This record gives sequence, C-alpha cells and structure tokens, in this order.
Amino acid sequence: MKKKTNSSRVLTCLIAGIALFSSCTTVNTVERATPVGTRHIIADKRIITDSGLHRKVSIVGLNEGTTHGGFLQIQVEVLNQKNSMQAFSYSIEWFDLNGMLIHTPTSVWIPRQIEGGETLAITAVAPTTTAKDFRVKFIEDVRK
Amino acid sequence: MIKAFNFYFLLLLFPVFGCATHTRYVEPTGPRTLVTSEINIQDFSYAAEDMVQSLLTSGAIDKTQQQPAVLAISRIVNNTTQQIDTDMLVKKIRVALNQSGKVLTTTTMGLGGIAEDPLARDIQQEREFYADKKGPPRLPDYTLSGKIIEQSDRKDNVRQVAYIFQLSLTNDEGLAVWEEEKQIAKQSKRSVIGW
Repeated sequence: MKKKTNSSRVLTCLIAGIALFSSCTTVNTVERATPVGTRHIIADKRIITDSGLHRKVSIVGLNEGTTHGGFLQIQVEVLNQKNSMQAFSYSIEWFDLNGMLIHTPTSVWIPRQIEGGETLAITAVAPTTTAKDFRVKFIEDVRK
Repeated sequence: MIKAFNFYFLLLLFPVFGCATHTRYVEPTGPRTLVTSEINIQDFSYAAEDMVQSLLTSGAIDKTQQQPAVLAISRIVNNTTQQIDTDMLVKKIRVALNQSGKVLTTTTMGLGGIAEDPLARDIQQEREFYADKKGPPRLPDYTLSGKIIEQSDRKDNVRQVAYIFQLSLTNDEGLAVWEEEKQIAKQSKRSVIGW
C-alpha cells in the first residue's frame, strides 16, 4: 500500500514537472457582447493537407469588403486551438476575372506567431481593382 | 590490400569532411528563405507589402483631380548600422503602386534636381521646347519620404534587433496625407561557442 502511494507521488511530481516546463500560455479576451459592425461573411472552400497545422491555426471565418478606391479587401480569422505559441506563415494569391494569377512584387510568405488560444485576424488588400478572387495558403514555420 | 582499404576508406570520408558545398535555388518570396539578424530581402518585402496595403486602403492617392496621381521619390534615410540600398524597399512599393493603376512615378524629377533617368528628362525638355509650351510640366502630386531605423537590445543570452520602416506621403501643399510605420523584430540566442 505504501509502495503504491509512493509511485502515485512520483507520477504526480512528474506530471507537475512536465506542466511546469512546458510553456502553456494562453490568451484571455474580452469584447463587446453585441458587435456594432457587421461582417460580410463569405462561404469558403478549405483544402486541409496538414491536419496538425489546422489544429494550431484553424480558420474561423472569412469576410470581405471593398476599399474606397475599389480594391477587394479580405480578412481571415484564425484560432490557435493549442495551449502554446505557434509559428506559421501565410501567403495570399489574387486572381482576375478570368481566373488568372496576378503577380505582384510584394506577394510573399509572411511569418506570424499566434499565442495559445489566441484569435488572429489576417487582413489583405488586393493589388489591383481587377482582382476578384483570392486564395490564402498556410504553412508551418519551415524557415531556418 | 591494406593500401586499397585505406584508399576506399578515405574515399568514403571525402563527402563528409571535404569542402563540397551544396547550393540550391530557393523561392525568394517563399517560406524557406534564411532568417538572419541582419535586414534581408524578406524584411523589405514584408515592409513593402504592409506599406502598399495601408496606402491603398487609406484612399489618400484617390484625392487628386487628375488620375492616376504622379509621385516623386524624396529622401529615404538609412539609419541602420548596415549599408543597404533603400531601393530594396522603394522599388517594390513603386512597382506595386504602378500595378494598382493609381500612381505613376516620375523618373525625371529627383532630390537635388537629379533625375533618375537623365535621358528621359532631356527628351521631356526637348519636347516642351519644340511644342512651345507656355505652362510648366505636370508636377508631382505627392512625394514619398521615409526612414529605416535599427534598434538593438540584449538581455542575458538573447539579442533582439528591431527594424522600423517609416514612410510619409506628402501632397503638393506640404501636408503629410498618409503616414505609416512597420516594425520587424528578430531575436537570436547566443550559442555555446560564440555569438
């Protein structure tokens, strides 16, 4: 009986030790209960090839608008479902009315960090007024 | 027999201890570029991307009577410890604004009266002379100026370097109609052997 108590103590200490050394820092938030602004949420199509990344950076929603100058503006809301900070990169491709890719000098994979439980809004503005469609790509941090 | 064994043994070791380097192409805008504490190509891309998006969203360039607006590049100060060509930032912004259809950049007017393209200025002046033009040529609606700043911090074995990109768009009345700042911070840990 005493032996069993000792082993359970060791197990408890081990779990406490792991919990102490693993960085579980999450984000608490507060916001208006009934938001004044209304989002124009659009239907999206998701292709998930990395389910591990999808748990770390899960897509909550997608909404779009138009700037004063007539540029398409999008916002992707992502949530880190893990309890620790995650690093990822994203890239946005823009397409014209014919579905052709619009090349821009500033289209790069942008690295971001998201804390545990944090919701992050990724915003982007189309490079030209001819851009009508878009594709947002996500990848785990692979930089050296 | 022993000599032959030694030869093959050395041959096997060669790829491991030899001076061969493996170089490969990488996508310069891709996710596998190197991260260094110095300011590098992707930092300029991130800054340019943010600046262009901010400028297009602000609508500041839509307020000229004649579209597209004409932009002249003013002084972009490099206040970092590194020798950098500020065109790494400015050219990306210029190209993106040109592609947006909202802005055209003049290459015949520059800081201190120095044209970026002297031949283009000569042609412009010749054309004006023969056309007997009375009024001045179309002057820039806006000028773009800015600064790149570096800030270093160190605590214990962690070093942080921040690069701050500041840009201002000034109209022909001397008012800054758009301003933006983009910060990029990088941390590096001291290794066991050295920094």
